[in-house]
Amino acid sequence: MSQLFDLVMLGLLVAMAVAVARSRDLVAAAVIFSGYSLVLCLLWLHRGAPDVAMTEAAVGAGVTTVLVLVAIGRTTRREK
Amino acid sequence: MKRALAAAAMVAVAVPMLVAVSALPRPGAPDGPVHTQVAARYLAAGAAETGAPNLVTGVLLGYRSFDTFGEVMIIFTALAAVMAALPATGADGAADRQPAGGGLPAIRVSPLVAFVVRFTSPFIAAFALWVILKGHLFPGGGFQGGAILGALGILLTIVLDRRRVWPLPAVARSRLLQAGGPLAFAVVALAGLWLTGYVLGYPADPALHAVRSLMMLLLEVGIGFGGGAIILALFLRLRGD
Repeated sequence: MSQLFDLVMLGLLVAMAVAVARSRDLVAAAVIFSGYSLVLCLLWLHRGAPDVAMTEAAVGAGVTTVLVLVAIGRTTRREK
Repeated sequence: MKRALAAAAMVAVAVPMLVAVSALPRPGAPDGPVHTQVAARYLAAGAAETGAPNLVTGVLLGYRSFDTFGEVMIIFTALAAVMAALPATGADGAADRQPAGGGLPAIRVSPLVAFVVRFTSPFIAAFALWVILKGHLFPGGGFQGGAILGALGILLTIVLDRRRVWPLPAVARSRLLQAGGPLAFAVVALAGLWLTGYVLGYPADPALHAVRSLMMLLLEVGIGFGGGAIILALFLRLRGD
């Protein structure tokens, strides 16, 4: 059961990483990447690393996403 | 000729590296030196030697405090780089309602989102403080609490209107606060030098355990509030305020 959870999460991570790489819409990519961080946060928590999980949730899912979105706002939204 | 030289240089670097990697113990092997030497010592003596029952904090602020100092300097340097690359537009630019680029549409914040952010913000702030101050006992610490504080600051600057939010940018622009992490490290490093003869050393004498706790608390507070201010300042500068 525990192993199954890890495998599902890891599969999700790979799928989301591919989606981020393939997306031409940078805002969509940023939002998917935020979801990636949340899944990774669950994985850290499940593997017994709550300190890392907290950092992942706050920095990875929260702050980084906002900074990327602001940077997109100052450039262009579509990847050429 | 040039390409042959480049290829030779690549092989000369790659072969020793690959040989070295193949000589490393298998990752995750329980009898590897990582698990039998350093980690075993941390687990056995970490709480007593650093005074931090949360061993992650003990490693970050005790055994590996030089690495943590490096991390703090990285965050500080990142802000310095952004500030150097993106000059401030006006003293307190009125660019709030019109984003500079054409990428993101200028949206009005939904009242529902604004209400939820305003309603939850005191709880988020209390949680961030708890994470910073109790990092030696529970998961968390200066980095995590600082990130939560910074994210809360970003949320509030997006949601609240300019008249209500003015203290936040002012606080985030405070140079003293932005340098909080490096400053705390400087104080603790000098205190350690004075007390133990080692930079960033913690006094082992049981009579001075309160001093040791105070030094760690100062580091956590400096990292936390400094990090929060840096995150908010990064956001404000990138947004073009």
